[in-house]
Amino acid sequence: MKAVPEPSQHSFHRAVVAVNGGPSDARIVQAACELARTTKGKLTAVHVVEVGWNLPLDADVAGRSEEAQRVLDLVEATAETERMTIETILLQARDVGAALVDEASEREADVLILGLPYRKRFGGDFAIGRTVPYVLKNAACAVMVIREPMAEELTG
Amino acid sequence: MIGGRRPLPGRKLADRRVRVERPHTPFFRYTGPGQLVAKQAASAPTTSAGRAWARIRALVFGRPLANIEEIGERLTKKKALAIFSSDAISSSAYATEEILRILILSGAAGALTYSIGVSVAIAVLLTVVSLSYRQVCRAYPHGGGAYAVARENLAPVFGLIAAAALLIDYVMTVAVSTASAIQQLQSIYQPLYAYRIEIAFVSIALITIGNLRGLRESGNIFAVPTYVFVGLALLIVGIGVSRIVGGTVVPLPPQPEAIAPGAGVLSVFLLLRAFAGGSVALTGVEAIANGVPAFKPPESKNAANTMTSMSLLLGVIFIGVTIVAHAFAVVPSVDNSGGPTVIALVAGSALGAGGPMFVAFQVATALILFLAANTSFNAFPRLAAILAEDGYMPRQFSFRGDRLAYSWGIVLLAAIAFGLLLAFNGDTHALIPLYSVGVFVCFTLSQAGMVRHWFLARDSGWWWRAAVNAFGGVLTLVVLAVVLSVKFADGAYLVAILIPVQVALFLFINRQYRTSARHLAIGPDYVVPAPHREERAVVPVPGLTRAVVQAVNVARSISDDVRAVYISNDAEETAAMRARWERQVPGVPLVLVESPYRALVGPLLAYLDILDRAWPPDREEPITFVVIPEYVARHWWERILYNQSAKRLRTVLLGRPHTVVVNAPYRREEEGRFEPTHGSDVGGDVGGA
Repeated sequence: MKAVPEPSQHSFHRAVVAVNGGPSDARIVQAACELARTTKGKLTAVHVVEVGWNLPLDADVAGRSEEAQRVLDLVEATAETERMTIETILLQARDVGAALVDEASEREADVLILGLPYRKRFGGDFAIGRTVPYVLKNAACAVMVIREPMAEELTG
Repeated sequence: MIGGRRPLPGRKLADRRVRVERPHTPFFRYTGPGQLVAKQAASAPTTSAGRAWARIRALVFGRPLANIEEIGERLTKKKALAIFSSDAISSSAYATEEILRILILSGAAGALTYSIGVSVAIAVLLTVVSLSYRQVCRAYPHGGGAYAVARENLAPVFGLIAAAALLIDYVMTVAVSTASAIQQLQSIYQPLYAYRIEIAFVSIALITIGNLRGLRESGNIFAVPTYVFVGLALLIVGIGVSRIVGGTVVPLPPQPEAIAPGAGVLSVFLLLRAFAGGSVALTGVEAIANGVPAFKPPESKNAANTMTSMSLLLGVIFIGVTIVAHAFAVVPSVDNSGGPTVIALVAGSALGAGGPMFVAFQVATALILFLAANTSFNAFPRLAAILAEDGYMPRQFSFRGDRLAYSWGIVLLAAIAFGLLLAFNGDTHALIPLYSVGVFVCFTLSQAGMVRHWFLARDSGWWWRAAVNAFGGVLTLVVLAVVLSVKFADGAYLVAILIPVQVALFLFINRQYRTSARHLAIGPDYVVPAPHREERAVVPVPGLTRAVVQAVNVARSISDDVRAVYISNDAEETAAMRARWERQVPGVPLVLVESPYRALVGPLLAYLDILDRAWPPDREEPITFVVIPEYVARHWWERILYNQSAKRLRTVLLGRPHTVVVNAPYRREEEGRFEPTHGSDVGGDVGGA
């Protein structure tokens, strides 16, 4: 009988790490490196630039954007400080969630790692956004969501 | 850096995505808006010869290091003592010998007894100097080299004198330490004497390669030989003194190479000469004050305490070795005889000559001397880099190589030090007179600078601190005068000439840099106007080739006023060229210059002068672009076949006023893209004008 893996055992061969240029990028890349180091897994960072419906999907948006390039370059630098290598992919898509799920699927990733900022809607409810629920619902692989710690003014 | 875009299907039609290529990633990394950082691949060679050379360099010197890979090791007192003391403590290996060599010149009975008194006097001087340098450690927690202290507190020129003296001191440390290290090894195995120059070359080459690889003053490498030497030296002194106290001393029979006592008189001058010779023991004492930032916090306190420990050890070993040498009637060997050193004879008397302990001590002595040489390989390039940054040495000295080492300084130091060893036949004793002068110049200027520092700073207890430095400064000035006068004829005059020459050179270089900076400077209020000068282009053509056509097109993109110049010594060829040019390159006038004296460069320059003179004097001079066609050879060996005339032209045109030289390279790879003119001649001097 096949043993059921421990829930804490995040063994994987390939992980796709979704980054968006936010403050949590460094944290999730470090966490992904930590996990990949033990299993010698391969890491791929994906940054998706959403293209509005007023432009063609292959419009020259991300290629010209230094900001989009910098997001992935910083991820690469963070991985290097962790003595790991990370492949970087820059995508243009109509929807971030769908692009992440499809990219993870195409790369046969075992896990898709996302960061989630701690934000509240007007009224006080926790705002999870639309990308994380989409990925949780549609990704074929395991999904790991790393939520940012609460800001001090929220905890205190 | 606009990447290509590759469409990819999604699970649903609306989920399609586009992958954007990132062509910059192998070479650069964006770190901010409009800001890129080059990766190692950006500076990787692109030719096969370049790649082969890079592989050889990586094999010999190691892979290139990035700035962030620099190791900033903070040292404990134990490690720092080993690192910074190797230079100072190792001088005890030859200081006693220098005293005995002078005293033996006197035939007077008991002359060698004065060696103890002289060594005690030097130890007193060491105490004063180290007390003074303790003050430097406290006042300059960021490192108080003599250059910095003198420059900041006295005047820039005093800083330069100190720097010149220090550079000489570092060169001498390498030469003297290497020569002495080889003598220590030859004291174990005498036949090595015949190969001392070869051994010196190999040793300096190895230290040079090690430093070009980025060898740092790693604590562990230094600690073992330094502490083994210190331990065994103290053991030798202990054994020797216990035998003296126990009355069991058996004087050594003089070795065959021993110097015969002279017939001189034991005069004050001779004692002063002995003192000057032995004062070489103080070399390297300042190293700790220079390296305060390398200590663990509290840096200044730890450095000052390490300075005390070092002086104590050096003083005990130096006086101890001198006492034991005297008790055992040790006599130095004749110059260039290959005989044993005084320290080897002392070690032999205590540990048994030829025994394993003796061999271990001699090897440790040689190692600590090599480490002392290595210390200079760190200090000399660093000082040269500081001087280069301040504009007193060529800027190349401040550039760091692939391994973060100041390669220019390292190579220069190795070359001069080996040259000295060669010139002085690897003889330590012959090199010593050049050594002490620079050291005492640094001591004096550093102490004088410190006195002024305390007067300006007026910290608590400033007056007694100033008094300590003032006493140290006066004492070292007196010793400097003594050393300079008694060793002047032996070689000290060279240093007395070299220091002013170096300072003059520093000032000359600085003036050059300041002049060029003044010429190049743009005032803060100057706003660059739009270009307003007229432009014209001249293309020297050797014939009608693809390279020439490309150069003509480049010239056309620069200016509407383009003319080609064809210089030949053959009238028939000239006529044929005109016919061809007019048919195949319409719209670009060709100037034909017959050169019956077969000169190429002269007629072209004369033609450009004529063009300038023909320009209306009421209009501003135009900028003349000389567009030189060049054929880019595919292989390095092909380069000697092409573009020789182009190189000559470029060289003579570089200094010409109102002239800009443009190279228009034509690559063979462009064959496919190039649209050849029907019937064009692609042979002949394809690249040269």
